[in-house]
Amino acid sequence: MTRSAPTRRQLLFTAGSLLGSGLLGVRPTHAQGIPVAMQLSWLHSVQFGGSYIALRNGYWAEQGLDVTLLPGGPNAPVAPPLVAGQALLGRGAADYDAAAVAQGAPFRIIGVAMQKNPFCIASLPANPVHEPRDLLGKRLGMALINRPVLDALCALNGIDATAIEIVPTQYDAAPLLQGQADCLLCWATDLPVAMAVQGVDSVVMLMADHGYEIHAQTYIATEDSLAQRRDEIVKLLRGEARGWQDYRKDPAAAAALTVEMFPDLGLDPEAQRIQAERQLPLMFTDVTDAHGFGWFTDESVEANIRTLALLGQEVGPDLWDRSVLEEVHGN
Amino acid sequence: MATDRPPSIEVRDLSKSYGHGPHRIEALVDLNLRVEAGRTTALVGPSGCGKSTLLRLVAGLETPTSGSLRIGDETPEAVRARGDLAVAFQDAALLPWRSVRGNVALGRALAGLQRDRTAVDALIALVGLSGFEERRPAELSGGMRQRVAIARALAGRPRLLLLDEPFGAVDELTRGQLHQDLAPLWQAQGTTTLLVTHSVAEAVRLSDRVVVLTPRPARVAADIAIDLPWPRGTGIGSNRFHAFCDEVSAALRDSGGDQRLAAQ
Amino acid sequence: MTGQALVPLRPGPWLQGAGVLGLLLAWEGASQASQSHFVLAGPSQILERLRLDGGLLLRALLATLRAGALGFALGVAVGLGLALTAVLAPRVERPLTTISLLLFCLPLVATGPVLRVILGPGIGPQVALAALAVVHTTFTTVLVGLRAAPASWFDLVRSYGRTRWAELWQVRLPASVPYLLAALQIAAPAALLGAMVGEFTGAERGLGVLTIQAIRSLDVVGAWTIATVAAASAMAVHGGLGVLGRRLDIIPPPVLLAPPPDPPVRSPAARGLALLGLMGFVLLLWQGLMDALALSPFFAKRPADVWAYLVAGSDAAVHRQTLLVALGETASHALPGALAGLASGAGLAALLVLAPPFAAAVLPLSLALRSIPVVVTAPLIVLGLGRGPAGTIAVVAAMVFFPTLVACLSGLRHASRPILDILDSYDAGRIRRLAIAQLPAMLPALCASARMSIPAAILATTTAEWLATGRGLGSHMAMTAMTSDYAALWSSIVLIGLAALAAHAGIAALERALLARFAPEQLAP
Ligand SMILES: Nc1ncnc2c1ncn2[C@@H]1O[C@H](COP(=O)(O)OP(=O)(O)O)[C@@H](O)[C@H]1O
Ligand SMILES: [Mg+2]
Repeated sequence: MTRSAPTRRQLLFTAGSLLGSGLLGVRPTHAQGIPVAMQLSWLHSVQFGGSYIALRNGYWAEQGLDVTLLPGGPNAPVAPPLVAGQALLGRGAADYDAAAVAQGAPFRIIGVAMQKNPFCIASLPANPVHEPRDLLGKRLGMALINRPVLDALCALNGIDATAIEIVPTQYDAAPLLQGQADCLLCWATDLPVAMAVQGVDSVVMLMADHGYEIHAQTYIATEDSLAQRRDEIVKLLRGEARGWQDYRKDPAAAAALTVEMFPDLGLDPEAQRIQAERQLPLMFTDVTDAHGFGWFTDESVEANIRTLALLGQEVGPDLWDRSVLEEVHGN
Repeated sequence: MATDRPPSIEVRDLSKSYGHGPHRIEALVDLNLRVEAGRTTALVGPSGCGKSTLLRLVAGLETPTSGSLRIGDETPEAVRARGDLAVAFQDAALLPWRSVRGNVALGRALAGLQRDRTAVDALIALVGLSGFEERRPAELSGGMRQRVAIARALAGRPRLLLLDEPFGAVDELTRGQLHQDLAPLWQAQGTTTLLVTHSVAEAVRLSDRVVVLTPRPARVAADIAIDLPWPRGTGIGSNRFHAFCDEVSAALRDSGGDQRLAAQ
Repeated sequence: MTGQALVPLRPGPWLQGAGVLGLLLAWEGASQASQSHFVLAGPSQILERLRLDGGLLLRALLATLRAGALGFALGVAVGLGLALTAVLAPRVERPLTTISLLLFCLPLVATGPVLRVILGPGIGPQVALAALAVVHTTFTTVLVGLRAAPASWFDLVRSYGRTRWAELWQVRLPASVPYLLAALQIAAPAALLGAMVGEFTGAERGLGVLTIQAIRSLDVVGAWTIATVAAASAMAVHGGLGVLGRRLDIIPPPVLLAPPPDPPVRSPAARGLALLGLMGFVLLLWQGLMDALALSPFFAKRPADVWAYLVAGSDAAVHRQTLLVALGETASHALPGALAGLASGAGLAALLVLAPPFAAAVLPLSLALRSIPVVVTAPLIVLGLGRGPAGTIAVVAAMVFFPTLVACLSGLRHASRPILDILDSYDAGRIRRLAIAQLPAMLPALCASARMSIPAAILATTTAEWLATGRGLGSHMAMTAMTSDYAALWSSIVLIGLAALAAHAGIAALERALLARFAPEQLAP
């Protein structure tokens, strides 16, 4: 048997707790404070490392907030809990946010965690894609749901999308490694990381470097909460900013903290470490150096509006609201 | 039994048990019996004494635990494989999705005979169901279904006919009618017929010979030849008929099985 | 050839052991041969992973089991309550059946987020989805059981002048016990699946969470290990209930799922009116539920929103076109998949009767595979067969195949014994026994399987489309949820519901026609 085979006592204990705990989930015991929730866009991972640091170091507690981080997942869109008022802040992306607004959700983007969109074209060094033109004649593995992203990239760079052979794949690296595709459309922070963990080097062409400007990992809130609970939102984002400043100094520690805080997620420490490393340049740029974490400029908003138009989404600059950030960073 | 003649049945020290260990039931223990060729033999005995078991053994539906069972000079399996044997049980066991004609035709087909609609319809007429050829079993009364079952059994021209309480589920009046209509049929076909019944009157009326069995383990308690003339329709109610009935009843009583007999 | 009256459909333990061993060896061999394809992991790899990650897997299993068990209890209780209601108030049976079928057909993609909002953080959605996965099968199976007593018993109770309650207590409940046990056995893997899918709405632990991680990071061994753990635990519950049943001497019921009751003979106008009434009731229920829970119209659409989206709105024609194309694509996978599953399930059942030793290998496998949650199998099968129609059809077929096989085997076993005796007395042989007596006896089970395959096919197709192929209505729904196009999402749900009801009605009609011919006794009330 395996080392961790359950003993009879463990099983009995489990049966007991099964009966006892009822429908209530296990809630961490927080310090007293105003309960506030932030809806994450995916399962817990170092992608949200700054938030874990803020939680662990009490950056929210000391402001009187009792913060719960709600994990996302493949069946957990961010918009409903925000609209329903269960979460005060949500982690979105400009394109999804714009879509939600078009459907009547009163959202505003009040901060941008990823200055550069993580979408990339990943290829192998032997047959690399360094710039959009290199895509011509190549077989590109991608999830069909991301078709508009590719079309936008092609339009931005004046290349013919029909000259790229699309290989429909699941969101995984296998087709590239098996030679069914020459390159993959994916996030720079996941599949290339998974390959790196397996010891496979890859060439990553960040689409953000070729005109694809879509704010990723945005912070969104409803107009209603911005009006009614502004103070809590400011405090939440302030703690978040502090957490991410710490993260920037020591991403490896953030990765370790993530693995430690969520032992049941089966996270691979090595993958978390590499991912923590690789998302740094996407999150921290000259703009954040000049203005602080999460900042966005009018120019980048303009660029986002242009890219969104290519994706078929018409939005105006009033989707963005910088006032909270201005308060957080004190200017 | 390579000939066309109906076979005799020779049962020697036949035993049959069901189940294992504490659940073991000795249904038959060392039974000895002879059934004459070309005649109708009725088996009567208390409920649970092993009559059905014996019939199923003869039909080759069960294997004996020990002892021997010969039909003519063959095994039941050999007779069965040639389609020379037919059974009818208390449950008519008709295929509900086939018509009367389809059910009777099944008996021919299974016995390996060629399709012959005229012969099938003639049999249906013989059991008094003309006009019901296209009906399904669900549209028939219990007595009618039983007639179909007997027609099916006869359709294969069996040389050995095994009947296990074939009229058990039929009401008294219908039963009398069936006796009158059907008995001549197998008489006419010249088969060896083994009839299990719990009705003394039925046994006397339909058979050439009544074998009375004791409670389990079954022994032959009495072997009574019924030399009433055929056809018997007119003789029913005669003094001799009643005398035979009394004799069989007395044999049953002496064997200790009368209380358990469900006769009238 | 004597004694063949009892074809050994339950092979001896030795044969069964050998069958399982052979399967394991074949599995290991196949995985060794396909090492570089990222598709299959063998028993040795799974054992190694269990050794390395046993603690993690155990914690995940316990988390999922906890939610699954609560949902199981809740769902079974609700299903039982519905069945009792239907027996005590026969008038409400049809509405209840319709509503429970509709609930069962609700796509997981759609229910998850709504449940998350209604129930908040914690394991609420896991429990609720597990319960939802269980209610319908429990309801229908137990309802059959509550009726599975001979009419004479009811007459007996009535002859003493006793009430419906006495009838329920003295006759119906005892008669339904074996069916309840069967319902629990069916429910166990379903509840596990529901709990896993619930974790997709955001959770910190559980087998569902680990599944997402494994699929995302192409951890094929991980995915197979989770599949094994999930299947083993579902089988353990299934087997445990079986042992319990034998201990309590509960005889398994003859046919698991009897046909829907004959619609009362009424004029077409009255039938139309009843249908309209039922639809109105469902719409009211929908609207009322959304309003009572004060759910935001942004994501909790009401009937009027769907009407506007599909019929009244300015872009309605475009919307209908898009959704119907997606529905068509989904149907083009679901239908052949369900048919393939039914045909192979029934075919194999028949084959097993002709060649019993074969059953030794197939039956344990079928039980095991039946217990693996589709969220794990769908990506794996698609990984093996590709994202084209073949993959999805195979997922659906696999989902339908196993319950069909089990039901059909049970049907074959219940061929009329006297008829089989008659056939044996002619030495009719296995093939004729099969054709004349056994296959017709199997028909009710096959019909019931066809009816039950509707929700299964919908679940499997949309799940495969959502998690693996990125086509059809499943993927469309996932996309609309991501882009907050909730009117499109709810409209998709309505379409799926309508399609399911239509398919159900069609199969039920076919079933009644077939049963009227082959098994009239099944139609007796
Ligand atoms: N298939 C069987 N399994 C176990 N016991 C049986 C079986 N068939 C018959 N028996 C038992 O064998 C005995 C004889 O039964 P049976 O031949 O049916 O009696 P009869 O037809 O004379 O009433 C009974 O005690 C009965 O319970
Ligand atoms: Mg008997």
